Amino acid sequence: MKKIDAVIQPHKLEEVKAALIAIGVDGMTISEVRGHGRQKGHTEVYRGAEYTVDLIPKVRLELVVADARWEEIAGVLSAAARTGKIGDGKIFVYSVEDAVRIRNGDRGESAL
Amino acid sequence: MKSENQFKRDHRQPAGGALQFQRRGRLIRAGIFALLLTPCFAQQAPPPPQPDPAGIATGDKSTAVDGGGNSFVVSEPTDKKAPDYEKNKKAFDDYTTQAAKEPLAVKLADTVGHVRVATNFAWTLNTGYLVLFMQAGFALLTCGLVRKKNAGHLMMLNFAAYVFAFLAYYAVGYAFQFGAVAINAAPTNLGGLPTMNQFLLGSGQWGWLGGKGFFMSGPAYDAGSNCFALFEVVFMETAGYIIVGAICERITFGAFLLCELFIGAILYPVFGCWVWGGGWMSQLGSTMNLGHGYVDFAGSSVVHAVGGFAAMALAMILGPRLGKYGPDGKPRAFPAHNLTFVVTGTFILLFGWMGFNPGSTLGATDLRISVVAINTNLAAVAGSATAMLLWYRLFGKPDVTMACNGMLAGLVAITAPCAFVSPTSAMVIGVLAGILVCVGVLFNERVTKIDDPCGAISVHGFCGWLGAVCVGIFADGTYGSGWNGVGAATYLGTAGKGVTGLLYGDSKQFMVQLGGATLCALWAFGATYVVFKIVNSVKSMRVTPEVELEGLDVPEFGMVAYPEDAVHAGQS
Repeated sequence: MKKIDAVIQPHKLEEVKAALIAIGVDGMTISEVRGHGRQKGHTEVYRGAEYTVDLIPKVRLELVVADARWEEIAGVLSAAARTGKIGDGKIFVYSVEDAVRIRNGDRGESAL
Repeated sequence: MKSENQFKRDHRQPAGGALQFQRRGRLIRAGIFALLLTPCFAQQAPPPPQPDPAGIATGDKSTAVDGGGNSFVVSEPTDKKAPDYEKNKKAFDDYTTQAAKEPLAVKLADTVGHVRVATNFAWTLNTGYLVLFMQAGFALLTCGLVRKKNAGHLMMLNFAAYVFAFLAYYAVGYAFQFGAVAINAAPTNLGGLPTMNQFLLGSGQWGWLGGKGFFMSGPAYDAGSNCFALFEVVFMETAGYIIVGAICERITFGAFLLCELFIGAILYPVFGCWVWGGGWMSQLGSTMNLGHGYVDFAGSSVVHAVGGFAAMALAMILGPRLGKYGPDGKPRAFPAHNLTFVVTGTFILLFGWMGFNPGSTLGATDLRISVVAINTNLAAVAGSATAMLLWYRLFGKPDVTMACNGMLAGLVAITAPCAFVSPTSAMVIGVLAGILVCVGVLFNERVTKIDDPCGAISVHGFCGWLGAVCVGIFADGTYGSGWNGVGAATYLGTAGKGVTGLLYGDSKQFMVQLGGATLCALWAFGATYVVFKIVNSVKSMRVTPEVELEGLDVPEFGMVAYPEDAVHAGQS
């Protein structure tokens, strides 16, 4: 099993969700997060005082998928989330040891 | 225009000239006692006036006045040496003859006079309710401008300001401000308040403090007085909540309550007495030949500059919020947490201002109210447009909060001159205020380093001062004939000419406005600074650094404004 951990632009969430559901991804977890990459945000002025907006709102998607499908899914996700501009985000992939379905105790890929 | 045109002798201004005032004073008293005394036309000294709590004796034929201010009743001239004695005597004799011939007309005039006062009651009370609603606007505005962790604190300050300052004003503030209003500034539109006729300090045209009507009882337990008190107390409340904008996010609740009691009982009523209660500043036209005396129609100085400069003193005593200035002395931004509140609150304030300024005529029978309403709106939009465009030019983006401050700046600045200027002058005053508020905010932020989270000092203090001075520049003489007892017959050689500014040929009015507005700033700043410097040395008015960093909501009030932001163990 692989865990796909993607940080994307918030306004791309709907497209990404639709694309993943279209190829049969069943579950995902999302959260609203803030962060920055190489660009380190930008400067604004509030009532005459400058301040830096360096932690920009993003959406983080987490999905755990079968080993056989992770490359396909990561590819679809990446294509759907892409605008080609700075700030599109990143995808990280990890190996997952095991999974448990709480309802009935299923283990491994059958728990997904 | 008729030479007797004294139609602006309502609220805050006495009758035109001492002689006329005596006549009007007797008319009011005679009116109150019309039910008790058969028409005797005051040959003997009238008994002292009595309050009218039921409101049945307020408003009779003596308050039946036409659009030009000419009374239905003609009183008997007393000064036989006066040059126009013969003419006045003839008018009186004619009236007496006619009244005897047509008793039904006299009876009808009693009804007309009562309805006239009733109309003005309805206007004054309803505009007062609009001013009351400004509390909600200010609460939203200031709450939106601060950080989320202090939202509950801001709401509680705005709420407690209304509650405690009202009680202080009820106990002593109203008496200090208006205890002698009948002497020089009888609000004739509301029946004249004849029982409020004694100074505690000073006398005649040099009054310093009113002395009747404590606890709104005795002489103040009167329908006219209570109508007036409702309108005036919500004005005081405005000065009371202005300070919130500058002292929030660091003052303890206990210290804040002291500030409100001080404003409601002393700071606001004292200056208010000098200008609106018939006190010495209003009489400078008669006593020192300075134009129409110090004129502030609806309170740029009496309300806003008092609140704004008191806020400045308190903000200096408290010091800036933790982290507001970096080690290098550069200001840091603490951005507003809810711009929706800020804009909604500003619009509520604009709406309430439609009571604040037009209501200050204290009467719907004064048709200048329409000019006042247009002037008020024009200054508001001009102020906001100026601040928006100026900020756009300076920083590349128009700041939402400064656009709102610009609207309020225009409103504050037009409050004193709104009845005396033309719409175009009102627009120009709005532009000046829009510039001043931007400069003021940057000046406090970068030069004086007085931390003012909501811009209260610039909006209410600086622009309030500007507004009072603008009366002395832009007043065009079309309104306010006989104001403060000056020029009831003619002024500057023209019959019916009212309050006139520098641009229209009265430099003395400019001098008294400049001096008076500056005195207002010195009084509000000085008295507040002295009193609260002492208070602060006895017990610190500021919360501890730990409380300030956590946000005042939980340490001071035990709750948060937005519970979904807090993690509550065991709660879903």
